[in-house]
Amino acid sequence: MVTEDEIEQVSKLMRIDIDNHKEYVEKVHSMIDYFDILDSAGVESEEISMPEISISKLREDEHIPFDDKLIERLNHYKGTYVRAPKMSS
Amino acid sequence: MNLKISALDYIQEVKTGNISAEDFVAKTIERIQSVDDKLHAFLSVSDDAVNQARLIDKKIKSGEQVGDCFGMPISVKDNMCIKGSKTTCASKILENFVSPYDATVISKLKQQDAIFVGKVNMDEFAMGLTTEFSAYGPSKNPWNIECVPGGSSGGSAVSVSAFECVVSLGSDTGGSVRNPASFCSTVGYKPTYGLISRYGLISYANSIEQIGPLTRTVKDTAFMLNLIAGIDPNDNTTIDNKNEDYLSGIESGIEGKKIGIIKEMIGEGIDPAVLSATKDAIAKLEGLGATCEEISLDMVKYSVAAYYTITATEAGSNLARYDNIRYGYDFPLEGYEFNSYISKARRKFGSEVTRRMIIGGFVPSAGHAGKYFLKALKVKSKLTKEVNDAFKKFDFLISPTVPILPFKLGEKIDDPVSLFLVDINTVTANLTGKPAISIPFANSNGLPIGIQLMADSMHDKSLLQAAYALEQTASLPEVPT
Repeated sequence: MVTEDEIEQVSKLMRIDIDNHKEYVEKVHSMIDYFDILDSAGVESEEISMPEISISKLREDEHIPFDDKLIERLNHYKGTYVRAPKMSS
Repeated sequence: MNLKISALDYIQEVKTGNISAEDFVAKTIERIQSVDDKLHAFLSVSDDAVNQARLIDKKIKSGEQVGDCFGMPISVKDNMCIKGSKTTCASKILENFVSPYDATVISKLKQQDAIFVGKVNMDEFAMGLTTEFSAYGPSKNPWNIECVPGGSSGGSAVSVSAFECVVSLGSDTGGSVRNPASFCSTVGYKPTYGLISRYGLISYANSIEQIGPLTRTVKDTAFMLNLIAGIDPNDNTTIDNKNEDYLSGIESGIEGKKIGIIKEMIGEGIDPAVLSATKDAIAKLEGLGATCEEISLDMVKYSVAAYYTITATEAGSNLARYDNIRYGYDFPLEGYEFNSYISKARRKFGSEVTRRMIIGGFVPSAGHAGKYFLKALKVKSKLTKEVNDAFKKFDFLISPTVPILPFKLGEKIDDPVSLFLVDINTVTANLTGKPAISIPFANSNGLPIGIQLMADSMHDKSLLQAAYALEQTASLPEVPT
């Protein structure tokens, strides 16, 4: 059984700010409770198979310049922060 | 102008000069303008589509080489990047994001002179199966506008079903192409994992999702696969399909093929009309010379929990990039320290995305990973073994695409676990990487029912042959809208 405090702690770590904590926590709680069905799957001894991709299949790590001169657009400084231009219009 | 024609018929008509691309595209845009206030399939409509079609007509008249699509109007789920166009993922956090590049599927279709008439609605970041979780409001099912169209590629299915385009591209993470295809009476295809490049598809759960076409006919799906499948250096999970021609031999039939009926997908909770349609489809396939036999896949009953655990974990990682620093919207920095700025900015996520991010942080976390995430991966492995074993005996597996009929808007939105279970028949193909197709097959009181066929990996061509054979046995009413 998952506690509401645990879910709240995870929200904080995930940097998610929500107003109606109770509503979220209840729904997340019911979803995670449903996942408890996995306990009865009897897969404890099962090996996890993961797809493997050989290095030869990976593309070359080439430097491809972007159309715009992005560095020149990094002109929005605030203290020790610099704000990058938006990718949106 | 008949907007109801298939992709292959459209191409034939334009090739032979019976219709012009410009007229067809102009009528398509008119159709969108006349019905989409009611259906809400589109999030944005191209204002240049008719001009592009005119240029294609000019190329045809001057004898220039023309791409295989001949100006065919296509809609695209709003999670695929088209250079210079908005790609919102149906989220407020990407409301004004304009893609700086084309997804591979888009580049391939542009080379074939396809015309993108617009971007279509979806559940926010593809998290949902009704389109009700779009930040811009739900799409409506053209068969009954009080019902959901399915999702998350709901806008794609609606736009094909209501003749607002000829074909559409969707993405399928747990049934997001097949589910709306079933609910809206279109063909919906989830290819073998790796058959179609995901480059330029906004990621939700990379390890299992695929782009897939939604079309009016199985032949149109085969045609689309010919154009968009194949290896891509920008996506190292893609497979070399040796330029397979999925259209040739599609009428080969299914005589002598063995089909497994998945017991766990026609059991508890299935709507009687859906069960009846499934039995009818099995009888039709047997009539065509196939042999059908029941098979049990024990892991299916755990598949939905495994699916949501894995996808939430991958989503938690993928959506971490939306910190309003690299992607986002105008939001002043002043007054916030780094972490609180990100937290505040993420308020633009909708409720379902927020819930899944929280779950995505929880299930792989220290102390819980063994109970949830690792167990989900083990279920995935065991399910894959079961399905691989099934394909040693059978050529195809059959089930209804969705165990229930399209339901009313709002009916299940507050009950996440009840919504989860709608995915029970579709997630297996994603977790195992197998190709699967939804074929429109029956109609019960005006609501469509789709039948799902699944094949072994890289057997996409024979799967389309079986789907074509089943499609020919169905006699369906015309969409009322």
